[in-house]
Amino acid sequence: MTRDELKDKILTILTEDFEFEKPGLNDNLRNDHGFDSIDAIELLGKIEIILDFSLTRDEKEKAMEIRTINDILDYIEGIVQSRNKQPTSV
Amino acid sequence: MVVKQIRNGSFGHLIDRLIDCTVTIACWSWFIFGFLLFFSWPYIAFSLFSKNPEIHFQKLNSLFYRFFFRILKITAPRQKIEVDKRVAAIKSSVIVCNHLSYLDPLLLIALFPKQKTIVKTRFFGAPVFGWIITKSGYLPATCEGRFSRMMIEQMETMATYLKAGGNLFVFPEGTRVRNGKIGELHMGALKIARMHQAPVHVLQIRNSDKLFTPGRFLFNTRIRNTISVKSIDCIEPDYENEPPSTAQLARRVRQSFYEKQI
Repeated sequence: MTRDELKDKILTILTEDFEFEKPGLNDNLRNDHGFDSIDAIELLGKIEIILDFSLTRDEKEKAMEIRTINDILDYIEGIVQSRNKQPTSV
Repeated sequence: MVVKQIRNGSFGHLIDRLIDCTVTIACWSWFIFGFLLFFSWPYIAFSLFSKNPEIHFQKLNSLFYRFFFRILKITAPRQKIEVDKRVAAIKSSVIVCNHLSYLDPLLLIALFPKQKTIVKTRFFGAPVFGWIITKSGYLPATCEGRFSRMMIEQMETMATYLKAGGNLFVFPEGTRVRNGKIGELHMGALKIARMHQAPVHVLQIRNSDKLFTPGRFLFNTRIRNTISVKSIDCIEPDYENEPPSTAQLARRVRQSFYEKQI
């Protein structure tokens, strides 16, 4: 999935499920949209559906540092890359 | 007649203060000696040997505060506590309640054997109390630093907890409201209700502030007072077909509070 496709999916989730109005990629999620830690945990559930795998607790903990939509995209790309680097067990 | 005159004078006022002081000391002593003598042992035992200490800690919390209110009832007979029958039957729900006094959370813990609530993060660092609320599975109000893991752990088990009959109660105004107006509602608990498709019960506590007035140390036991806990609304949205937004849930809660003129 490209970053643009990912961005579209995240924007759809934020506007439809979290009722964001005109979200900008660098908006401060907390200050501009009232996005808090409980929202972050709910969003992680939706990210798991997009990625089709479960996030570890450490990965979820990292998500608590997210501040902008660009951070969300970086976070997801980072997770995917780190999973791809992991050696597959035989 | 003479007794009445004495009680109306400054001597009477002194006696009243002494009664207030005695009741206050009796009740708060329970926190120290009741815990040390009777409750510390089961807390430690469940902490060490139970596979699910959380549920046992919650039951112990509830029992501890039931004793607290029993002591209050005995030492301050002019105080009555009336609880709506529907309140005691609430389970698997998010409960939102107005907040008048420090007694309010104690009252709700006493009422619900399976209870969680959202607690200011600074309390998690308090000796003993911090340990108890952590083991009880209470949620931190913010998610910074070490609290992020705690919050994630709690949210991962919240669905199971609610399904098993547990309640999450909160004071959505966040703090005690002294001027009688409704404060800004914190959305956290309503977001949890929406996420886990739980009903939202709106409770109204009255007159707890008359017994334990914010800013005062002593209980005010001299007046006749009835503290009541009533269920004023039960919001059961059609989550499957018409899931409400958090803002819609908040509006309904505010409306319930307004209608009851909290």
